[in-house]
Amino acid sequence: MSLLLLSNWVGIGRRSADPTHLPATARLEPGGIPAPSYFTVNFAHLVIERLTKPSFLSPPGDAPRNASPLYAEMSRLAVSGSSKEGSFAVFDLTPHKIAVCHLIQLFAPLAQQVVPFPFESVSHHNRLGLFLFSLTKACNDFVEPTLEELLNQLRALGGSVNVWFCDHLMSNLLEISSPDDLFNFFDKLRGVITSDSTDIEDDQIILDPSSHIGIFLRCCILSFNLLNFEGVCHLLTSIATYCNSTGSVYELPEEDVDESELDHLLVDTDLGNKMDAPQKYRCSIEASTSDGGSSTSHIHMSSSISSPINDVHVSADSDFKGVGGGVQGVEFMSSLKEYSNVDDYQGFLQPKWQVEGYLTMQADLLEKDTTSYPLNSFTATLNQIQKLAPELHRVKYLKYLNGVYHEDYLIAMENLHRYFDYSAGTEGIFNRSSTPPQEIYVGRYETALLCLGNMHACFGHPKKALEALTEAVRFSQLSNDDPCLAYTLSAICKLFSEVGISSTAGSLGSQDSLETNMSLGAPLSTQQQLLVLLQRSLERADSLKLMSLMAFNRLALSKFYLKHVERPLLSFGPKDSIKLRTCPVTICKELRLSSYVLGEFGSDGLLQTNDDGAFSTSWIKNLSSSSISWFENTKHVRSSVANDFDLFHFDAQPNPVPRSALQLAGSSYLMRATSWELYGSAPSVRLNALVYATCFADAASSVELSLAYVKLIQHLAIFKGYEEAFTALRHAEKKFLPKSKSRIQLLKLQLLHERALHIGQLQAAQQMCDEIGVLASSASGVDLELKIEENLRFARTLLAANEFSKAAGVAYSLFCMCYKFNLQVENATVLLLLSEIHKKSGNAVLALPYVLASLSFCQAFNLDLLEASANLTLAELWLSLGSNHARRALILLHRTLPMILGHGGLELRARANITLAKCHLSDPTFSISEDPNILLDPLNQAAEEFEILEYHEMAAEAFYLMAMVYNHLGQLEAREEAAESFRKHVTALENPHSEDPFLR
Amino acid sequence: MGSKESYRTELRSAARQLGDRCLFSAAKWAAELLVSLEPESSFGTTSSPSLSSLSSRASLSAPSTPRTLSGQYRRQTDGSALRRRLRSGGVDFATTPLGGFSYVTTPIPLEDCSEVNSDAYLLAKTYFDCREYRRAANVLTKQTGRKAAFLRCYALYLAGEKRKEEERIEIEGSFGKSEAVNSELVYLERELSSLRKSGTIDSFGLYLYGMILKDRGCQNLSISILVESVNSFPWNWSAWLELQSLCSTSETLNKLNLKNHWMKDFFLASAYQELKMHEEALKRYECLQAVFRRSDYIQAQIATALYGLRELDEAEVVFEEILRNDPYRVDTMDIYSNLLYAKESFSALSFLAHKVFLTDKYQPESCCIIANYYSLKGHHEKAVLYFRRALKLNTKYLSAWTLMGHEYVEMKNTPAAIDAYRRAVDINPRDYRAWYGLGQTYEMMSMPFYALYYFKSASFLQPNDARLWVAMAQCYQSAPLEMLEDAVKCYTKAVSCNDREGIALHQLAKLHSILGHSEKAAYFYKKDLEMMDAEDRQGPNMIEALLFLTKYLKAEKRYEEAEIYCARLLDYSGPEKETAMSLLKGLRIAPSGLPSSSGADHFL
Repeated sequence: MSLLLLSNWVGIGRRSADPTHLPATARLEPGGIPAPSYFTVNFAHLVIERLTKPSFLSPPGDAPRNASPLYAEMSRLAVSGSSKEGSFAVFDLTPHKIAVCHLIQLFAPLAQQVVPFPFESVSHHNRLGLFLFSLTKACNDFVEPTLEELLNQLRALGGSVNVWFCDHLMSNLLEISSPDDLFNFFDKLRGVITSDSTDIEDDQIILDPSSHIGIFLRCCILSFNLLNFEGVCHLLTSIATYCNSTGSVYELPEEDVDESELDHLLVDTDLGNKMDAPQKYRCSIEASTSDGGSSTSHIHMSSSISSPINDVHVSADSDFKGVGGGVQGVEFMSSLKEYSNVDDYQGFLQPKWQVEGYLTMQADLLEKDTTSYPLNSFTATLNQIQKLAPELHRVKYLKYLNGVYHEDYLIAMENLHRYFDYSAGTEGIFNRSSTPPQEIYVGRYETALLCLGNMHACFGHPKKALEALTEAVRFSQLSNDDPCLAYTLSAICKLFSEVGISSTAGSLGSQDSLETNMSLGAPLSTQQQLLVLLQRSLERADSLKLMSLMAFNRLALSKFYLKHVERPLLSFGPKDSIKLRTCPVTICKELRLSSYVLGEFGSDGLLQTNDDGAFSTSWIKNLSSSSISWFENTKHVRSSVANDFDLFHFDAQPNPVPRSALQLAGSSYLMRATSWELYGSAPSVRLNALVYATCFADAASSVELSLAYVKLIQHLAIFKGYEEAFTALRHAEKKFLPKSKSRIQLLKLQLLHERALHIGQLQAAQQMCDEIGVLASSASGVDLELKIEENLRFARTLLAANEFSKAAGVAYSLFCMCYKFNLQVENATVLLLLSEIHKKSGNAVLALPYVLASLSFCQAFNLDLLEASANLTLAELWLSLGSNHARRALILLHRTLPMILGHGGLELRARANITLAKCHLSDPTFSISEDPNILLDPLNQAAEEFEILEYHEMAAEAFYLMAMVYNHLGQLEAREEAAESFRKHVTALENPHSEDPFLR
Repeated sequence: MGSKESYRTELRSAARQLGDRCLFSAAKWAAELLVSLEPESSFGTTSSPSLSSLSSRASLSAPSTPRTLSGQYRRQTDGSALRRRLRSGGVDFATTPLGGFSYVTTPIPLEDCSEVNSDAYLLAKTYFDCREYRRAANVLTKQTGRKAAFLRCYALYLAGEKRKEEERIEIEGSFGKSEAVNSELVYLERELSSLRKSGTIDSFGLYLYGMILKDRGCQNLSISILVESVNSFPWNWSAWLELQSLCSTSETLNKLNLKNHWMKDFFLASAYQELKMHEEALKRYECLQAVFRRSDYIQAQIATALYGLRELDEAEVVFEEILRNDPYRVDTMDIYSNLLYAKESFSALSFLAHKVFLTDKYQPESCCIIANYYSLKGHHEKAVLYFRRALKLNTKYLSAWTLMGHEYVEMKNTPAAIDAYRRAVDINPRDYRAWYGLGQTYEMMSMPFYALYYFKSASFLQPNDARLWVAMAQCYQSAPLEMLEDAVKCYTKAVSCNDREGIALHQLAKLHSILGHSEKAAYFYKKDLEMMDAEDRQGPNMIEALLFLTKYLKAEKRYEEAEIYCARLLDYSGPEKETAMSLLKGLRIAPSGLPSSSGADHFL
């Protein structure tokens, strides 16, 4: 199967006896290039038509549906040349492309053999084909490879014949010395594809003219035909420089020498040998310019190279210690190569689409792994692209991203504006299909506003961010840019989730000034406006069948329904019809509907096969890591940068589903995990987080991916104890580079706090608590999530230290805060905590109203697990009110036990078991001797679980009860054992040994 | 030294030497200046002022120069005004002491008479004159003299430039890569640096070296080399211009280590002009004009400075004068056309356009003038066409980009306008007009928040321009933002910058009344009223102000003052009159209703 697919990619079909064979494979292959019959029209004619009639491309109704990949391919190749008035550049013909053409000629000769002349085997032949294919698709770098690199790759392909290839290629290139040679070369090239279909015999090798390589070849021929004489002359001189740039290297007798040198260089940089690399670099420059005389090289040094050297120095100093050393090494290498080439040989850019693919790839990597991109060296690379391609505005966008991720406000701001000033008329960030600019310009300035808003949010100006985003909403509604609207709404949602809403009251396009009333009305009104906006855009998306917008809106709405009730809680009045509850069914429905998008993608503008070139990289990567030995290092890169997802699909095709669809579908899974967390179904949380981490990691941003990991680790901590959670956390920390304020950081602190509380290290617990507090911003209304977390934990720490009144004070102020910011879900937790505090202080009567309030909250919001634990607390309270309530408590407990045992964590289960035992013990009608296992089973279970959690206090209680029971039964040996365990736990609690779980 | 005669000999020899080295435009400049010196004999009695006294005076007496006198800069053809001016000036100069400020005399370098093979040089020069640069360079390969070495390098440089221009058209790649490089630069840089090391380089060679370094991107070295060149041979105006192009800030300008030659005054004046320090430039040019009385160049520069200061009428007079004197001039006429555009003089602009078209239609300036004419006529497509042509001829033609942006705005093609403005800004980030244009365009597209950034940039560069502040305030005031507090701040700033159109005062008053600061609102309405009275303006603003003041004063119980304003309202017809009548009635009743309190207050 794979061989068949391979042959189709490469475009070579070996005619077997069955002539229908080739089309069959073509149909089989999903993302590839089918060969529709109508494509027999003259290619040149088509391309010209494309350039002159852009409308021909866009409407999908015109052309048969299955032809669209081919059209995309064609137009990509064709449009990558500029369609400036008058000139008909299909794409720039460069020496590298000529070299590739030459190789294609060798690959598909007009001979009638199974294995053509220089090849050793069919697989060898196929390997070259794959290599050529990836060469034409690759966008690993923005500059086309030099001849040296090409030769190296060719040699590394394996087989002694490849040396012959190199020689052949080299000599052929050197032979081209006059314009006429070029004309002859292309004449010969034409013979490769114009094989008449009539006289094809079996087993003959033909290059399908409509395959990828066929199209490439024809594009080359066409653009040569379009060249004027000046162009031919230019091509000739550039071929000469192309050959000369590596001439000296090529003369070396053993081709291994330079490879090993490369290896050395790589090793050096990997080891962090800071001084050596620039030194070598200096040498190489000296060598390359040595023919120019000694004085020149000095001038060169002073003039154009000196600044890059500085940059390189900086990067070497700061970043070789980091985890991303492997990436660094390679980046560093390529930058060295670039700089050494600056003077004599500038290099040729890849076709536009590939450069853009490269840039997109860089943007993704930048988001995932900021630290591996030192500000200056990446800027230098970008500057070089800009110098080579001043009309490629996307570089400025990368500069903006670079500025944002390195927190350089000025760079970010300036480049953002510059990018959109230049390009927004013709290209936005979305909708970047390959259609040439239409006659009527439709601006894409709403994306500019969106970016501006995001930037302000990143730099911590929520008010400005909201203003920009509001404008973006207005403008994208005005210009019917639905994808942008979706993204903008999501940005606003994100902003609201990070920033307390009362600080941004009333500014979301609201003209009525509710700002004066900050306490209750205004925050709600802002939220309600967002809600209205979401609902309205959902309706619109529904009527216009915009799948992705619909999917997004459903997601956002479900989040809304999950966390916010639709009306304010305090509603006075006779009518009690106001719905105060969140409805899991609605949310579930919304979520299900949202991930429906995966099946439907393609029907929407956003989700059109928006091949941004990024997929192409995986080709050369796979090829290099599987066969090229000196590229070994890229494996490092892969493991640190790429997701696990890639590992599963090592040799498979790139994923045909567009990124944006994947992202949307993925976040619906993440959302499901979160909602189940609230509704209290632990297995579902785990399941959904796992699905996300395995299936959508490829398209996920690092923030979202880390969230999934956090959920998984939390699950581990709750169900398997801290030991395993910390092990997992260590792995996660390796994967996500440490950033302050990251979720992983928070999780670590949370786990450490929890553990410190359990083993009784209150001081350590207090310290963790303070550290969480430091993560949050000091401004009021910002980072609410963190602040609530901190206060909750602080109150718990105080409770553990038996400072009841202080704990109650903290909890009370927390309740006030939650109430002010309308965080009803959190309120339930806080109320439960208050009742716990009162319970522990021995005032059961005071604790009762709190737990009842919490229960009613839980019921309103369907927080089942929290409700179960509130019920448990209630049972404990009944119990402490006296033995005559024991029966009641037992009934309550039995009612909640299924929920607790099914979904509760270790702690909750153990607590329930102990309470169960206590209920029986305090029940006067219960007799132990009748069935001691009713007591012993839960107690054993509880003790075991508390021991896993290292929760000494509660474990001691369990053992104490056990000892009592054994004593009652007269089993002295067992009693002694339990008592011994009890003693062990009590001493452990009193003398907490300070041990860092991370050092284990 | 210091007499006119000495200037004359210096310039004469310089022009000859420059011409000999094929530095044509510098030679042209020197010759023009030479002719602009009036023959000394005609004013033999008046002691000719030396420039040294002039420039010391420039810094002292300039602020008192009254520029409002019409025709001050005009050079009357009959010479009477000139004489009048001169007489007064002459006396002034004679009495002014030379405040210890003197020019350094620079010896005119002697010609290399020892050129052995001057025949070869002659041949090379003829080739050069026929624009056969490579041939010229080839003839001189074996020559060793400085002059020959210079011409050889210069010819090579020009050959490279010519090839570069050709290549630029040939290789318009898909990435818009138009950065063709002069292929001779590397070789020339090497050659000239070795010449400099061995000490066999003259000031012309240094000039060429500086230019090459600039092209290679070594700014600092280039500056020092050019300074060296102009210090040893100050009459090469092209060298000064190169130096000026490298001084993008006044800091770099002040750091230059220049000898005090009188040419430095020309340089500084022109550099100030470029840095938009028009006042300073004007001062220097006034002084220079006292010596080089008939210089068109100085006149044109003065006119440009006046235009920059928005003294349109004066500038127009000067430009007319220049044109009368030199009817085939194209330089700086684009500024004249801008001026005519601003004054909306159709016929004058068409006349100018016709004239430059006949003179040389393939000059960027000519295209710009024609485009201006079309723009004034409202034919924006044609205007764009001609701006495009101008930009094709010179891609770094700043004002054409900005003006083309304006045209696109008129044509409602906002993306194209933004693109044009942005290119202008990228060529010169100090061009506040383009920043302002960008802001306006985004505001037009109803993106006021986004536009703010551009208005901020513009007002940062031109903090004293009220228009910019008003524009920014309007952004803040616009419906989606409604950040009235910020708008008030901007309007206040505009008022303090002397907003001529009176928008700011009115809006301030209005905003204050909306925000409920009625006292402040009354203050600004009153000021607005005063200003409108002073400028004799009428209109709805006036009525609004009067109405508000009447009501405010009535509420404040200052009935008599209220009556005054109310009475003025009666002058208007229509509904205002009715309101005024009823208000007046109310005013007359109100005081009598509360006789005790108000009456007592009055008499106390």
